[in-house]
Amino acid sequence: MLTIDRVSRSFGGVYANRDVTLTVAEGEVRGIIGPNGAGKSTLFNLVAGHIRAESGTISLAGRRIDRLPAHARARQGVGIVFQGARVFPGMSLLANVMVGAHAHTRAGVVAAALRPPSQRREERAIRAQAEDCLSRVGLLDWASRPAEGLPLGQQRRLQVARALAGLPRVLLLDEPASGLRAAERQELAELIGELRRDGTTILLVEHDVGLVTSLAERITVLDLGRVIADGTPSEVTSDPAVIKAYLGTGASHAADR
Amino acid sequence: MDRVNPRNVLVVVAAVAGCVAPFVMGDLTFLMRMLLAAIVVTGLSLLMGYAGQASLGQGAFVAVGAVTVAVGTTRWGLPPLLVLVAAPIVAGAFAALVGVPLLRLRGHYLAFGTLALLLMVQTAMSTLDFLGGAFGISGIPAFGVGGSVFTDQRPYVLLALGLLALVLFVTHRIVDSRFGRGIRALAGSETAAESAGVPVMRGKLVIFALSAMYAGLAGGLSAFFTPYVSPDSFPALESFTYVIMAVVGGLGTLWGGVVGAVLVSTLLQVLNLVSSQPQLPPTLGPILQYATYGGLLVVALLFMPGGIVPTVQSAAARAVSRRGGAGRT
Repeated sequence: MLTIDRVSRSFGGVYANRDVTLTVAEGEVRGIIGPNGAGKSTLFNLVAGHIRAESGTISLAGRRIDRLPAHARARQGVGIVFQGARVFPGMSLLANVMVGAHAHTRAGVVAAALRPPSQRREERAIRAQAEDCLSRVGLLDWASRPAEGLPLGQQRRLQVARALAGLPRVLLLDEPASGLRAAERQELAELIGELRRDGTTILLVEHDVGLVTSLAERITVLDLGRVIADGTPSEVTSDPAVIKAYLGTGASHAADR
Repeated sequence: MDRVNPRNVLVVVAAVAGCVAPFVMGDLTFLMRMLLAAIVVTGLSLLMGYAGQASLGQGAFVAVGAVTVAVGTTRWGLPPLLVLVAAPIVAGAFAALVGVPLLRLRGHYLAFGTLALLLMVQTAMSTLDFLGGAFGISGIPAFGVGGSVFTDQRPYVLLALGLLALVLFVTHRIVDSRFGRGIRALAGSETAAESAGVPVMRGKLVIFALSAMYAGLAGGLSAFFTPYVSPDSFPALESFTYVIMAVVGGLGTLWGGVVGAVLVSTLLQVLNLVSSQPQLPPTLGPILQYATYGGLLVVALLFMPGGIVPTVQSAAARAVSRRGGAGRT
């Protein structure tokens, strides 16, 4: 489904990603882990389209997306959940999720002013779909509340609903557990588990090793911008290179929280 | 539906007042200026409030609309209706053109960029003889369609009222749409909006052009009304006034532009009357005007940071809920 082929990107002469190659199969949950500075966020931003690769290609369902701007990648089926609280303030939860439907709808400004039947139909469909997505993440009861007042855990679930409204082929989550309390983290893990059962293809970039090993079918480990291991959770966690690069410090770090 | 929505009552009252005023007031210049400002500020409020983009030079697009009418009627002898329709289109196209580089700027930089645009338009008008030169273009014919020609102020005011209503209607529909949601989203986070599939640059450009179309429409109408267009007709202070009207009325609300325009225009008119008393020094007028702008902004930002319309709305909502009513806006 998602193919990243020998992608490199440097900042000021230092490679943040170097020849990163990985393939995510349809319906797979792929974890990306690595210590701080391993290049996880760079990889996330390269796939999302917020930065461009210097070399290498990224394809989604056989189509190259690495030269497309971010909004066009959304149209191709890249769904994004940001680490930060990137919900749209001043808008209700429902309106936030309705924005997510931009990726597969088309009515423009002229249609908005004239409101032909096609536009009205599309609006109804967007609303129904957004309500459905809100209910999937358990926030339908708060549909008319302003988004900025939500606690962080719910803001992240709102982002998941917004991304789902774009009918993504692959869902990218950037450190979805960071900053969450234990209970919120548990709820989020359950939500990702449900999405996996529904057959959603997920790329999970995460610092929390425990969360990733419990959710992902395969894990790619980055260190200093390179892929150092790729395999099932048990393969990866027993790989000496991984233990050396990451788990030694990461495990104690995860235990701190 | 036995409960009457207080907002609808206010809208009806405003509409009736607007329709009655042209028949009871003597000189309609003040009313006309107010309505034109309301049209401009509705567009500015859309741009600043919903899309989060600043403009200190909205007068540039008013000027483009006015020049379109002035040149179209006096130089080319085109029919008035045609040039009035062309005024917003030319202003919008101009905004779409200059917006490509301008909208790469953000925040304060965009504000100053738009102000620079206004100064450039003024300079172009005063140096190019085709656009009127330093003396401007006078002798713009009265507006009219076919055989009926506007002979006094009243039909202009009624036309402005109708166009204001049209502008409000279009704005309401655009805000509450797929496009409008994209615009509000990019004001909150461009990165997240982009990743949700909103073409951010194009959205900003469209909303910038739309606000310029409103300004151009007001400018075109003012050219017929005055009927004279010169570089001095669009001072920077007037563009600042639009911003103050938008902020005082309430950015990001449909009625904020109208409320701000009515309130600030009325206040300025009162100040004008006070300062033009014979025993007072002639410098008092401008001083009072600047002082009022400063005072208004400080008071608005301190006590009503969202502007009048949102403050009144939330106060009304509180009052309704205190009475145990189920009325919701």
